[in-house]
Amino acid sequence: MDNFWNWLQGCRTDFCDSFYLNFIKDDRWRYLWDGFWTTIGISFAAVLLGVLLGFTVAVIRSTHDKTGKLRLLNWLCKLYLTVIRGTPVVVQLLIIYFVIFGSVNISKILVAIVAFGVNSGAYVAEIIRGGIMSIDKGQFEAGRSLGLSYIQTMIYIILPQAFKNVLPALGNEFIVLLKETSVSGYIALQDLTKGGDIIRSQTYTAFMPLIAVALIYLAVVMQFSWLLGKLERRLKNNE
Amino acid sequence: MSNVDPADPVFRVNHLVKQFNGLRAVNDVSTEIHQGEAVFVLGPSGSGKSTFLRCLNLLEEPGSGEIYFKGGLINRPKADINKFRQQVGMVFQHFNLFPHLTILENITIAPVKTGRSSRAEATAKADALLKRIGLYDKRDVYPQQLSGGQKQRIAIVRALVMNPDVILFDEPTSALDPEMVGEVLALMKDLAQEGMTMVVVTHEIGFAREVASRVMFMDAGRVVEEGTPADVIDNPKNPRLQEFFSKVL
Repeated sequence: MDNFWNWLQGCRTDFCDSFYLNFIKDDRWRYLWDGFWTTIGISFAAVLLGVLLGFTVAVIRSTHDKTGKLRLLNWLCKLYLTVIRGTPVVVQLLIIYFVIFGSVNISKILVAIVAFGVNSGAYVAEIIRGGIMSIDKGQFEAGRSLGLSYIQTMIYIILPQAFKNVLPALGNEFIVLLKETSVSGYIALQDLTKGGDIIRSQTYTAFMPLIAVALIYLAVVMQFSWLLGKLERRLKNNE
Repeated sequence: MSNVDPADPVFRVNHLVKQFNGLRAVNDVSTEIHQGEAVFVLGPSGSGKSTFLRCLNLLEEPGSGEIYFKGGLINRPKADINKFRQQVGMVFQHFNLFPHLTILENITIAPVKTGRSSRAEATAKADALLKRIGLYDKRDVYPQQLSGGQKQRIAIVRALVMNPDVILFDEPTSALDPEMVGEVLALMKDLAQEGMTMVVVTHEIGFAREVASRVMFMDAGRVVEEGTPADVIDNPKNPRLQEFFSKVL
């Protein structure tokens, strides 16, 4: 019993020492704190860009599917989807940073936002297009038969219903995006993951910083899922 | 459409043809629909009667032929289809109410968004119509909470609130439980008696006999016989009609 007690005491001391070394000493917690906000900032800005892009692409694509118009734009959208969905996001991030913006001095955060936003846009586009296609064609006909224009019918009749249908998938896409930003370290951007990794390289201990990073991601995702569930329930009541 | 001659029929259809994959769903149909008429289009399934109706407000684009609305050709490239459709109501088999909008919003969205009336005017009119059909207490609920018959009557009100010159009914009772058919037909009969111009595709032969001012019988995309209900339904000359009515009546 005494042995166990001593062992437990030892563990506690080890834990406290390690905690102190990794987070308190030299204000190392700041790597996580600053990285956290960088990750959050990039994720939200990128998801906004992604939804905007995806939304535009989805409307162009489904307008083409429904009416046969916008052929050139539709072709461009398909090219965008093929390229973005066909290559890894890390490669896209590196190309945007080192090739496209290689010769200009530009904020790494901006590069990350563009890279992840453009990447996410392709997935969002197909999610929203699926949502538009899932709406019964009678809804569209009812809107048009009342004299609403194509655009009015889209805005007031189709998209609100499509949005409600794709909300779970969009939420999922945001969760994926949030975690995908962990590759930002490839362009030496100090996001949450990179922050934890810097601590690891300074203290030569992996457990504390990496588990802390994982827990922070987990907490953010859980919080977001909870909010999303609330929103879904609220929209469901409006029917 | 300022130079509308009041004598012009609401619809004049010349040699209308609509093909699907080479099959002529509507094959050379010509007719006129005058103000105040209740024209019933009858016929077996697949005879092209719904397609004909959907051509009238260009939900189906006609393959060839002309459709004139109050004297103006509407199936031409530069026609203002939205403006035209604001004057032509449509009631669908599956109601097609907007599930994300309340009953009141369902009714007022079109007049408000098309600029046909202000929100206050549209709401007042919607309220009056809802009271008339006895569904005023449903104005703030969502379509999901209504029965089929109530949904279809709301769909009729949604068309009426636009003050249309004509309402097209595409099998308005086919998706209803039998006990709900009556309330929808009663409302349609009221409208017909008030002089609302209507074109009705239906399988309710008894209702057509009672309400129609004219009956068109279609088969294989053509109008086979046309005339008063007494002539077409009770004394059909064509053997195809005799066979059809002997089975359904």
